[in-house]
Amino acid sequence: MPVKNRFAELQDEITAWRRDIHENPEILFETHRTSALVADKLKEFGCDEVVTGIGRTGVVGVIKGKADSKGKVIGLRADMDALPIHEATGLDYASKTDGAMHACGHDGHTAMLLGAAKYLSETRNFDGTVVVIFQPAEEGGGGGREMCEDGMMDRWNIQEVYGMHNWPGKPVGSFAIRPGSFFAATDQFDITFEGRGGHAAKPHETVDTTVMTAQAVLALQTIAARNADPIDQVVVSVTSFETSSKAFNVIPQTVQIKGTVRTMSKEMRDLAETRINEICNGVAATFGGKADVTYIRGYPVMVNSDDQTEFAADVARSVSGDCETAPLVMGGEDFAFMLEERPGAYILVGNGDTAAVHHPEYNFNDEAIPAGCSWWAEIVEQRMPAA
Amino acid sequence: MPIKNRLAEMHAEITGWRRDIHQHPEILYETHRTSALVADKLAAFGCDEVVTGIGRTGVVGVIRGKTDTQGRVIGLRADMDALPMQEQTGLDYASKTDGAMHACGHDGHTAMVLGAAKYLAETRNFDGTAVVIFQPAEEGGNGAEAMCKDGLMDRFGIQEVYAMHNVPGVPTGQFAIRSGPLLAAADEFDIHLEGRGGHAAKPQETVDTTVMLSQLIVALQTIVSRNADPILQAVLSVTSVETSSKAFNVIPQSAQIRGTVRTHSNAMRGLIEQRLSEVAQGVAATFGGTVQVIYKRGVPVTINAEEQTGYAAETAIAVGGSCAEAPMVMGGEDFSFMLEERPGAFIVLGNGDSAGLHHPEYNFNDEIIPVGCSWFAEMVERRMPAV
Repeated sequence: MPVKNRFAELQDEITAWRRDIHENPEILFETHRTSALVADKLKEFGCDEVVTGIGRTGVVGVIKGKADSKGKVIGLRADMDALPIHEATGLDYASKTDGAMHACGHDGHTAMLLGAAKYLSETRNFDGTVVVIFQPAEEGGGGGREMCEDGMMDRWNIQEVYGMHNWPGKPVGSFAIRPGSFFAATDQFDITFEGRGGHAAKPHETVDTTVMTAQAVLALQTIAARNADPIDQVVVSVTSFETSSKAFNVIPQTVQIKGTVRTMSKEMRDLAETRINEICNGVAATFGGKADVTYIRGYPVMVNSDDQTEFAADVARSVSGDCETAPLVMGGEDFAFMLEERPGAYILVGNGDTAAVHHPEYNFNDEAIPAGCSWWAEIVEQRMPAA
Repeated sequence: MPIKNRLAEMHAEITGWRRDIHQHPEILYETHRTSALVADKLAAFGCDEVVTGIGRTGVVGVIRGKTDTQGRVIGLRADMDALPMQEQTGLDYASKTDGAMHACGHDGHTAMVLGAAKYLAETRNFDGTAVVIFQPAEEGGNGAEAMCKDGLMDRFGIQEVYAMHNVPGVPTGQFAIRSGPLLAAADEFDIHLEGRGGHAAKPQETVDTTVMLSQLIVALQTIVSRNADPILQAVLSVTSVETSSKAFNVIPQSAQIRGTVRTHSNAMRGLIEQRLSEVAQGVAATFGGTVQVIYKRGVPVTINAEEQTGYAAETAIAVGGSCAEAPMVMGGEDFSFMLEERPGAFIVLGNGDSAGLHHPEYNFNDEIIPVGCSWFAEMVERRMPAV
């Protein structure tokens, strides 16, 4: 059993949905058209329940199997939102919206999960309940967190959750996964250094904020180089550096720096946050200035559960013959919030030799649709086999 | 002979001119009203020649003495321009122009040289020619350079030049001067650093522009601490830093760094220009980036000629009873361009306990008018005594 025959039949239809969504990208929580399209299709498929407005514009569909002897409930999650990027693919179904683009393949994720929902509603060949979850605002908006905060897991009694992401550079339709920490926690910091501004020709009357901040940027490099266990992973990047004055002859009163921290464990995340505070306050004290550190925790580490990961890999092998061990990814993933609430697994599906995600020439590879849909359907049918 | 009696009589009149100019500040080369006022007065005083349009809005007046047996010509220079500041003095003759203010006392300088011109035109008690020079754009516009480029020195046969500046915090009417370097050369630099931008979670694929710029700022400190002769003076201030991106998760492709260099000798100025470029190239090469350094030479060092400084000090002692040794100042002065063309001297005169120069509450102290006028008049009468 590689790809399910029904999905080979449905491929053109699902591809058409995917391209329609691609042509009408919507950003963050503004997925109004996409959410309506998803809800309409789920109803048309005959889902037992279709609920909108979970996590603002999130949509949930419930499909009950032929039997429900054990009360098992599995959640399958796709993301619907696009990115604020100007598309440069030249496709005939390229974005119609200036400055918005499906450059991360969420159009494909949504279409594949819709395809699986259609199949599962038709066949219902399982013992339990499937909850298909369509979230907005995966790209920095915390849409997954908002759906959880709206009580999604308890309301539908979801016991396990699964997610999938396409992966450029990996053979189309092939799978990769890893247990444990997979995607990084993505935090931000926003630090204001305050010295004592003044005339640039009278440095002795000032506390030079620019020199102080430069020292801090260098000292922050020692978190990865000196504080972190070399076996563990951490990235601290200072990405923005702006003096409060742009004049040639004024030593600025303040300097604002911004950046991101990526970690693969709670311990490393705590360590990075602590050391950023200590280093900035220490450097500021060294020069007689002050540091105001704001550390904003974003997506947590996305951790795949051992049991569900092994199961997901088995299913992947049954669909496409193989499943590789995925590398650690320093990007963040909103699905981490759902995995904090329930055990589950997140898998990568190859998108072939395409431009990278978030690139203006990226496009989801429709050839991955049968493999992706089959994996979704098989997760349900193998995890909750018909009695 | 301290203050000339005639100038004491004229005190109220000159104060009237000063306050009129104060109320109508004009910036850089836009000194149209002030230049016209100066030219009208010089003509009314009976100057032998009044020429406008030297250095755009500069004005020159020529006053011949009773005799001219030696062909001596002395230049007396005042500056006319105001600053782009909002006045906060609350004076009844405060600026009528929003965002412009005489916050450096150029209103007083202009009024004092006008007063001296009136006296000299009345008395003509000298053997030679006095050239009164009123320049625009002293504040960052190089108005003195523009007047020199228009042939000021040769056209009027000027052999020596003198100028005066008020100094807040020094007792009213107290003179000070020093031979050799007095004010600094004020240069600007603009450095464009280019790394390789990318995703902040993938530092290994980038050349981190932020780390590179921080290393550069810190390395630049060694020019003053390690390259400069500790006996000499130098200031290098990095005053503005701006990364090309302000996002939390993007390592910026490039950064712009600006600052100023203040030196008191041509040798030090040359050294710093050279080292700035070497340090920047070296740091960029260290990290695999590239750098473009633009070094803009501004006003040169203000160097008082030894002989003329002696005359200026003697005259100051004659007028004010004493003349202190002035400290070196790291600010720049446009009069330096005139001192590069002709020997001369720049003297400072105490403004009493007023707000600092360029402060929104600063005001020129009218009490020093008779002292300042007397010094200008006395310079002419002593350097070119009547036969």
